[in-house]
Amino acid sequence: MSLVTAPSNTPVWVNVSRCKACDICVSMCPAGVLGMIPAPNSTLGSMIEVVVPEACIGCKDCELHCPDFAIFVADRTEFKFAKLSDGAKERSQAVKQNKFRKLGA
Amino acid sequence: MAFNYDKYLRVDKMPTLWCWGCGDGVILKSVIRAIDTMGWDMNDVCIVSGIGCSGRFSSYIDCNTVHTTHGRAIAYATGIKLANPEKHVIVVTGDGDGLAIGGNHTIHGCRRNIDLNHILINNFIYGLTNSQTSPTTPQGFWTATANYGNVDPSFDAAKLADAAGATFVARESVLDPQKLEKVLVAGFSHKGYSFFDIFSNCHINLGRKNKMGEAVQNLAWIDSRILGKKKFDLLPPEEQEGKFPIGILKQETDKLEYCEAYDKVIFAAQNKTTVKL
Repeated sequence: MSLVTAPSNTPVWVNVSRCKACDICVSMCPAGVLGMIPAPNSTLGSMIEVVVPEACIGCKDCELHCPDFAIFVADRTEFKFAKLSDGAKERSQAVKQNKFRKLGA
Repeated sequence: MAFNYDKYLRVDKMPTLWCWGCGDGVILKSVIRAIDTMGWDMNDVCIVSGIGCSGRFSSYIDCNTVHTTHGRAIAYATGIKLANPEKHVIVVTGDGDGLAIGGNHTIHGCRRNIDLNHILINNFIYGLTNSQTSPTTPQGFWTATANYGNVDPSFDAAKLADAAGATFVARESVLDPQKLEKVLVAGFSHKGYSFFDIFSNCHINLGRKNKMGEAVQNLAWIDSRILGKKKFDLLPPEEQEGKFPIGILKQETDKLEYCEAYDKVIFAAQNKTTVKL
């Protein structure tokens, strides 16, 4: 069972039972919304987390690049997305340099 | 509400058996979106796949599916299409499946120009069986059968299909799923053999021993090998070495499609005449 409908007023959400923690969505996100967190029960020892949902710009790059049908982005008609700010760009670079791990985790 | 992929999937088979980050999943999603754009009824779609990681494709999509023997997906699909000319047949093979053991079926499918949509998932290695040299493995790469570096020159699948007579030839990669979807829609709408050479990543069985063991690194390597068709054409020949143009490379509509040609055979047999092409 996947979660095609948004949990309510959420820009981006994840089905953790399908995620295999490949890091692709984090590498694609231009706004640093996503990050990997340690998860001992996951095969690769990490799991995706939506860290800064309010920065999501709704570009859907994470959803399009996810090979496992695990991450979803709301439709533009249903949610008012943020604009891409310089702070978000910097956070995105910092997360990528942090080996896709959530900052400070 | 996000795009509802579950409508087209066998949800009980999820999660997929593919490795984390495998490009096959991105291609599966793009094919689903392309089918959705075409507005096809899933009862009219048949997916035929061969053996390999790409062979799992037919297990996950909820329509008529056939999982066939190694390399023979085109042969099965030709039969299915000839018996049901109004149905939409999509063939999914890997680079080993479609170019090595099934290379003969691929070229003869192209030659006949039968209305199949052949998606060749090209990950440059035999991934399922753990890293044997495939016809598209780049020279110098480590493989299980070439421990000191591969010396075999590699195939350009799109040029092969073009030369063999396919009327729609395109190359795309998993790096741009939206463009991939558009190209798939263009090919699905085309009447005749549509050949898609889609570059995909296998960071596990190609990447680990070739210094790109993460999906992101493998995707960056693919990105360094592809170039838009217009930009590619402007490059001097020495710089074109090792690069591949992407986009729609060939589209012809004047060649007779095989099912239509076969209708003429049926007409000739019923009227005791000979075929006039």
